[in-house]
Amino acid sequence: MLTFIAALIGLALTPVVGGLLAGVDRRVTARLQSRFGPPILQPFYDVLKLLGKAPMVVNSWQVMSAYIYVMSSALAVLLFFMQGDLLLLFFVMTIGAVFQVVGALSVPSPYAQVGAQRELLQMLAYEPLIIVVFVGISMATGSFKIADVYAMEKPLLLSMPFLFIALGYALTIKLRKSPFDISACHHAHQELVRGVLTEYSGPHLALLEIGHWFDVVLILGLCSLFWHTSIVGMVALLVVTYAAEILIDNICARMTWPWMLKNVLGVGLVLSVFNLLWLYVS
Amino acid sequence: MQSVSGDVHPEVSRLSFVLCYEVRMLDTLVFGSVVFPLLAALAVYFVRGDAARNIIVPVSVAITAAAALGLAGLGSFSYSPQAILGISLNGLITVLDFALLGFIFLIALRMGNLLIMGLTVLQVLGMVYLDFFLMDHGTQVTGFYADSLSLTMVLIISIVGGLICFYGLGYMKEHEEHLHLAKSRQPRFFFFMLLFLGAMNGLVLANNLSWMYFFWEVTTLCSFMLIGHDGTDEAKTNATRALWMNMAGGVAFVAALMFLQKSMGTLSVQDILAKSAAPGMKTAALLLPMAFLCFAGFTKAAQVPFQSWLCGAMVAPTPVSALLHSSTMVKAGVYLVIRMAPAYQGTMLSAAVAIFGAFTFIATSALAVGQSNGKKVLAYSTIANLGLIIACAGINTSAAIAAAVMLIIFHAISKGLLFLCVGAIEQKIGSRDIEAMRGLFKVMPRTAVITVIGIVTMMLPPFGMLLAKWMALESAATATAAMPPLVIMLALGSALTVLFWARWAGVMLGSTVPGENPPSEHQPFTVRLPLLLLAGGAVGLSLLSPFVYSMLVAPATALYAKATAYTVSMGVFENNAGVFAVYPLFLLLGVGFVYALRAAKKVGPEAASLPYMGGSQKVVDGKIGFNGPMNGFVETAAGNYYMESLFGESKLSKSINVIAIVLLAVMLGGVL
Repeated sequence: MLTFIAALIGLALTPVVGGLLAGVDRRVTARLQSRFGPPILQPFYDVLKLLGKAPMVVNSWQVMSAYIYVMSSALAVLLFFMQGDLLLLFFVMTIGAVFQVVGALSVPSPYAQVGAQRELLQMLAYEPLIIVVFVGISMATGSFKIADVYAMEKPLLLSMPFLFIALGYALTIKLRKSPFDISACHHAHQELVRGVLTEYSGPHLALLEIGHWFDVVLILGLCSLFWHTSIVGMVALLVVTYAAEILIDNICARMTWPWMLKNVLGVGLVLSVFNLLWLYVS
Repeated sequence: MQSVSGDVHPEVSRLSFVLCYEVRMLDTLVFGSVVFPLLAALAVYFVRGDAARNIIVPVSVAITAAAALGLAGLGSFSYSPQAILGISLNGLITVLDFALLGFIFLIALRMGNLLIMGLTVLQVLGMVYLDFFLMDHGTQVTGFYADSLSLTMVLIISIVGGLICFYGLGYMKEHEEHLHLAKSRQPRFFFFMLLFLGAMNGLVLANNLSWMYFFWEVTTLCSFMLIGHDGTDEAKTNATRALWMNMAGGVAFVAALMFLQKSMGTLSVQDILAKSAAPGMKTAALLLPMAFLCFAGFTKAAQVPFQSWLCGAMVAPTPVSALLHSSTMVKAGVYLVIRMAPAYQGTMLSAAVAIFGAFTFIATSALAVGQSNGKKVLAYSTIANLGLIIACAGINTSAAIAAAVMLIIFHAISKGLLFLCVGAIEQKIGSRDIEAMRGLFKVMPRTAVITVIGIVTMMLPPFGMLLAKWMALESAATATAAMPPLVIMLALGSALTVLFWARWAGVMLGSTVPGENPPSEHQPFTVRLPLLLLAGGAVGLSLLSPFVYSMLVAPATALYAKATAYTVSMGVFENNAGVFAVYPLFLLLGVGFVYALRAAKKVGPEAASLPYMGGSQKVVDGKIGFNGPMNGFVETAAGNYYMESLFGESKLSKSINVIAIVLLAVMLGGVL
């Protein structure tokens, strides 16, 4: 029961952390580009403003999809805090990803349609990597339960460095960072408007944004499992990882989906196999 | 679980009464499952006329389903009927074997197909050698044996298969109106459909492998007849392909029978499995026939490189595809592979089977991505799931076998449903192409929603298919042999499946009106009822998955490994490797879904906006588009990415077939 209450508190704090992260991200990115950047709390102002707007939609399926997306992302985070099954929380997160695509595909708008197709390809790129990372964790700990990771004596990073890089690929795609901001992007250089998010506005866009915060925190949470032995190590790992994400975002151009499939799956899976064999032998 | 035996001579009178009662009960139930469908088939064939058929088919599938439920209620049994109407069963089946092979030979002769003739002759020679030289006719072999695995299969065959036959009534009426036939060919159609059910029940209940072989060949013949039912050139070609591929599997089956009789001295599945458990038994003498049986299973389950027969089978009327893909035929293939799994557990053969299944899973999932033809997507997805089942059988731990049986159950329901949906859609809109189903909700609101339900139950939690996939992935991670390639293939394949399902569900819901409420569609009752029942079944049975697991799946896995696959309490599956909370998930996701639906309902026409088209969006005659060049209206059009250059059949099939043949060669060669 205590875990459940703690998990609920964690769940409630997640969007706050996610929003702050987005704020810091925007600020750091701006500095890297010699701009001043918005206030750290700007993402919250944006979402609050969006929530206050009157809904405008093309059809009802979009609304349903937006709610299912935020719900499933939240549920995945809850499962994480409950120290549940890694594979299960991944599948629950997939519900949201699928419905985001379903919502976009239900609108006959070229931008949303193309965005949805590309979102599916992005999923095709990151899903196998996440599954393989979880398999690696299960090889190291003997199970897919997060609780068993915390029972480990040594940090996972020491035995799974290459799988951590593979997870980094997945994180970059999930964060919609260059070079993988293919289906939707925060920047204005999009031929695709906002791709898979184009047809969402007002409160429903706010829901998707909150869902996105959940997803980002969840994946960072997964990264944190790689250094569970000390809080300092964990925070350091996350800060370095996120800083690397921002750096990559700013020094990379946006690439095409065939490039993404080839590179992410090619390099990512080779790294993963290598690491799996390593775990297998030891 | 009670166990009764047909040839016991009980001393105690009360016991004898109970046993007699149960044996008679068993007689009736096995008869109702295996022989009765044949009688019903004959009745439909000879009593022509719509009215009679509309009575015979529903009544007989109801009786078969009732018999299946009765058998399941009775629990596992072994049962050796000696004779039917005074004729020895062993002799009868031997005679029928040769009659069947002779009939197939005649068909091949009429087609002038040397390949099939050759394959038939090989089987005849093998059977002659087996029956007249190898077989010791003095030893008794228990004819039928049923455990939870066979009973699960009987339930699926009789209930899902029965619903598909029922759907066929409404479907075939419309189908034939479309074709303008002078004389209805429905009696022939339903003859083979019902016969198919009986043969499948026989196959999964048979303990004597030579009986199983007979039923195996009957399903080959039925599928040949049903695929070629419409008599078009394409139908004939595809039926012929199905026949030769399955006959090749038949040859492997006969070879396995000969080897087993020679090395094991028996064709009883139970005896072979029991003997194989002894240490030092897993040598080439046992593994070679096992490899042959697996090969036979692969052909029947349309694994690569034999995928083309199942893809070609969709020229047949939809109920045939639904039957072949969900509850019969292909499931016979995986049944055999799972049934024999203990005999090759812990060997290299098992690892080879796992790798082969995983390869089929990823290869056909990739092929499905390149397809816009809805039925072909379904076909490749079937083959992929069968590959996953075979991979589980190869992984061969109790959790993996549990995953395999769960996959069989939930796949049968969801895939049967999806085929019936596509059939109904095709009859209404005249196309089975996914692109033609854009905005289907406007035209067929109920069917569109049911199809989306079918798709969601195939791919997302908390539904049974996903639970099974979760079990499969987690057991793959604990596989002892060839784990890394296995896991990579399953992970990639699973991501590919998400891709092709999600986009199909999305386009069907296309709409441009918030709160759209299209007029409800008209559908024959025989079409609507199976759709509703199967959709309800796919969702309802998923909710009951903890019970399905404890009642059907867990006892089946107990036969394979001492270790319990999962403990289930309060709807939560758990073992050392992981935990899947079915009920809490259902509750939370269910509440969330209802909330999402209510929020969607609340948004009315006042919130309507047009899709964004760079600011120049426009509606002309109810069509949505934009103000294009020369101030002209351009209607929007969109299409999914099918990426033929990456995932097209022409691009992939050849290399997939080559790799598959190499894997098969390694599998067969590896046991020697």
